[in-house]
Formats: sequence, C-alpha cells, structure tokens
Amino acid sequence: MSEFLAIMAAPFAASLVVTGIHVYLGLHVVRRGVIFVDIALAQIAALGAAFALLLGMEIHGGEAYWVSLAFTLIGALIFSITRSRRARIPQEAFIGIVYAVSAAAAILVVDRAPGGAEHVKDLLVGSLLFVQWGTVVKIALLYAIIGLLHWLWRKPMWEISNMNEWEKGQGRRSWIWDLFFYSTFGCVVNASVGIAGVLLVFSYLIVPAVCAMLLVERTDNGTVKVGKSLYVGWLVGFVVSVVGCYFSYYWDLPTGATIVVTFGGTLLLVGLIRTLFLV
Amino acid sequence: MRLLSSSVLCYLFLASSAMAAQPVPVVTTTTDIAAIVKAIGGDHVAVESIAKGYQDPHFVEAKPSFVRVVNRARMLFNVGLELEVGWLPLLIQGARNPSLMVVDLSQGVSVLEKPSGPVSRAQGDVHPLGNPHYWLDPRNGVIMARRIAQQLKTIEPGDSAYFDQNFTAFESDLTNRRKRWEEQMAPFRGAELVTYHKEWEYLIKWLSLNVLGYVEDKPGIPPTPRHLEELVQTMQQRKVKALLASNYTNPNVPKSIADKTSAKLVMLASSVGGEESIRNYGDLFEAIVGKLAGALK
Repeated sequence: MSEFLAIMAAPFAASLVVTGIHVYLGLHVVRRGVIFVDIALAQIAALGAAFALLLGMEIHGGEAYWVSLAFTLIGALIFSITRSRRARIPQEAFIGIVYAVSAAAAILVVDRAPGGAEHVKDLLVGSLLFVQWGTVVKIALLYAIIGLLHWLWRKPMWEISNMNEWEKGQGRRSWIWDLFFYSTFGCVVNASVGIAGVLLVFSYLIVPAVCAMLLVERTDNGTVKVGKSLYVGWLVGFVVSVVGCYFSYYWDLPTGATIVVTFGGTLLLVGLIRTLFLV
Repeated sequence: MRLLSSSVLCYLFLASSAMAAQPVPVVTTTTDIAAIVKAIGGDHVAVESIAKGYQDPHFVEAKPSFVRVVNRARMLFNVGLELEVGWLPLLIQGARNPSLMVVDLSQGVSVLEKPSGPVSRAQGDVHPLGNPHYWLDPRNGVIMARRIAQQLKTIEPGDSAYFDQNFTAFESDLTNRRKRWEEQMAPFRGAELVTYHKEWEYLIKWLSLNVLGYVEDKPGIPPTPRHLEELVQTMQQRKVKALLASNYTNPNVPKSIADKTSAKLVMLASSVGGEESIRNYGDLFEAIVGKLAGALK
C-alpha cells in the first residue's frame, strides 16, 4: 500500500486537479457541441512550439511557451469569429479543419527545423505517471485563477453556451465572451495536455459531462442544471481517477491509457443505469 | 571444539549463501546493456531492463512497475547521448531513489557524428551529442562491459574478483566471435547499401560497409517525393543489394522502395530480445551478420 502511494500519489493528485476544471469546462463544451475543440487547440499549440523551434528557440524554454500561447490565442480568435458569423456551417467543421491543417503544418515546420524535432511530439503525449509535485502545484494555481474568472462571469458564459446558432449570429458582444471562453480553455488544455496527453485530457473533458447529462434532468427550457451536473461530473471524475490509478498499478499498465479505458467503462455503466432506472 | 568450528563453518556457509541469495538489484534502459550486465554480474546481480528488445528505445510507455524497479535498484546503466532523453530523466525523478547511482555508458566510447563546433540549422536534424546507437559495434560492447565491471565493483567490492573473471571470459569470447564475424563479412567490404534511419552507423563502420543514403533523414518525418526518387535512382544505378531497417519500423515504405530496385529489404533486430532467438549480446551480432551476409551475396 505504501508503495502504491509512493508511486501513484502525484499522478493521482494531478488527475484530481485536472478533474476540477475539466468537468466544468466540459459541460460548456458538450453544451456548445464543440467536442473536438480541445484537440484542435492542443495541436495549434504544438504548431506554435514547432514554429519556435524553427526560430531557434529551446522547445522546453520560456520563449517557446509564449510562442505556443500566442498560437493558442490565435486559434481561440478563429473559433470565436467562426462561431458567431457563420451560422450556416457547423462549428465542428472549422474545428476539424483547424486540427488537420495545424497538424500538417507542424510536420512541414519540423521538417525545416534543426534538432529536437522529436520533442514536438512530446508536447502531445504527456506522461501522467511521471508528473512532478511542483507541476501539480503550478497547474492547481493556474486552474484556480481560471476557475475563479469563470465563476465571476458564469452568467454571461452560460447564456452564450445555451444559445443556439441563430441567436448567436444576432448577439453583438457574444464573440468577446467566446474569445474569453476559448482563450482560457486553450490555456487549460495546453497545461493539461503537457502532463496528461491528448487522449486523457479529452476524456476528462467529455466523459464526466456526458455522464452528468445522462443522469441529471434538464430545466424546463432545456438548459443544463449546472450545479447538479458539476457534482455528478466531479464524482465521476474522482471515482475514475481512483479506479484507473489502481488498475494501472495493479496490472502494471500505462497509466493514461488505463484511465481513458476506465472512463469508457464508466460511461457504459452510467448508460445502463439510466436505461434501467431513470427512463 | 569440533562442534563449535563446524557450527561456525555452518554459520559462514549460511551467511554466504544468504548473501548469494540476495543479488544486487540493477536496472538498465535497454536489453543490450542488461545482457552485458548479466554476463559480468552473473548470479550476484539481478538485472532488469526497462525497454523491451522489440521496442524503439526512443519511446517507452510509462508503467508503474518501471518506477518500482528504479526505486529498488542500486545502480542504473543507460545508453546516454540523449537516446532516453524523452523518458529517463522523468522516470529517475519520479522513482525518488536518492541512493541510486546512474551510469552513462557512452563515456569512453568513441562517438560517431559528434558535431564539431556549434550546431547550425544547415546541418539538418543533428543529435547534439552524437549518434547514440554505439552498442551495434561489438568492440564497443567490450568497452561497455569493462565499465560495467568497474562500476559493479564500486557497489560490491567483495565480488571484484568474480566480476573481473566474468569480464575476461566475456571479452575473450566476444573477441573470438568478432574475428569470425569479420571473416564472414570480409568478402563484402566496401559493399554499398541504404539504411532506413541513421541507426546502423557503428555496425557499418565496423564492417567497412558504405552507406549511399537514408530513407528517412529524420525519424517520424516522411521523406519528400524528390528524395525518394533520387534514392531509388541511386540504388538502381549502383545496383545496391541491401536496404537495412530495424525490425520495429513499419515495413511498408522500405518494402515499396526495395521492390522498385534490386535491393533486398533486410529487417534486423537492433537489440537483444528483438527476435526470440537473440538472448545475449553475442547472439545479436550472430543474427545481424547472418542476415547481412545472406543479402549481400
């Protein structure tokens, strides 16, 4: 048991920190129907890192971080503009395009860059098992600040996430709030992907939110009951983190992949509970 | 008196057998190093390798048991030259083993492709410390074994004679076999071939072969169409007989190139355990030399 704690304590703490903010942002993401936006933003950040490499910067250094952040903000700008103007085209189409183009562009940039090309790949495959306590504290602080901002502006944020495409096209100020949403979201996703990898971040974002939507009834006008959904989502995230870390240790499996599969199993279970008891 | 002395003897015997039953825990990053450590440390050392022989040592998926193994080990041997840079520093930090001694075996090896002067963009993708695949030359195996024996002595000075004896046996056996492999490959000196990645440089230098080009200059970056066309042309003109790739690469691309030319695709294990029959360091070269000689005939 003590050995289990010694090995798994930091990864477990990191997964709880990730759960905290991702479940909340996940409710927004699922409500907005922009499911793959995190993967697209992570890929843009990786493109930024590759670009920094081309400029001769150290990929894990401070300068590269700012370049990658700048690229993320550009991505956020693209998503906020395309969402409010082009109601005819689904937002997921733009997200898919941004993902594919930035992934391909990263290959082209890395091809021209000097050594260290393999590290661009590292940015998308963080390793939860090896996370350091210092990193856990850092992301906890970052997520607390972003969480606070989202709490302060929860009203306009939920108004926009609950809007349909047509209403969205009418609102003038809405793209500013969208920019805020995608920018903060981009910061969170970048930090999380660096320690947990794309697959795990995606699962933490989407699966608890979907479980919450299956279990928590909607309000009369069809919007999400945020408080209740959040508690259910956090519970799911917490339980899956505990069980996933334990499975990973017990059967000696790669930690990130184990948690993702545990999420899949949990969703199946929740779906079963819903069909048997709730509907 | 006799009873006493026999009980002392008995005690000594038990103590020594208890010591023999407690081999020193040692961890290595690759199976090649593990095989050499086993040859030198014998049953006085319990060695585990983190990467498996069929895996690319650049990329290793993190598992909890790695942390456990490193946490319990007294010494860790690695290849160095940034081969394991993607995961080893994190693993060592995560294992929280302050008494672990880390030994980088690249020290003492004459490293190929070490860039002289500052690394510039014009040189393309350069390993800033030089090519890390040095275990693919049996002469470097002896250098590694000598260093391993030396380091094992520092943690188990009582076993010095045992390690020395094992080293001498390892060295003479490997030297004899190396001479046989060199004879076997002698007719192919100067033979021209193409390799998939830049991971066979040490082998090629040892056997005096001649590389005309690489399929992928940078791992993971697909080659450009023009590069492939030029490569195929060169291979046709020079009637290149062999295209080397390690057996963890996807065979589709090298196979399509080999099919367009007269070259044979030779998929080689680049580490101990890369094929089931390769159980120790000598087996590795036995397999490589056998396949190469077959293809170049």
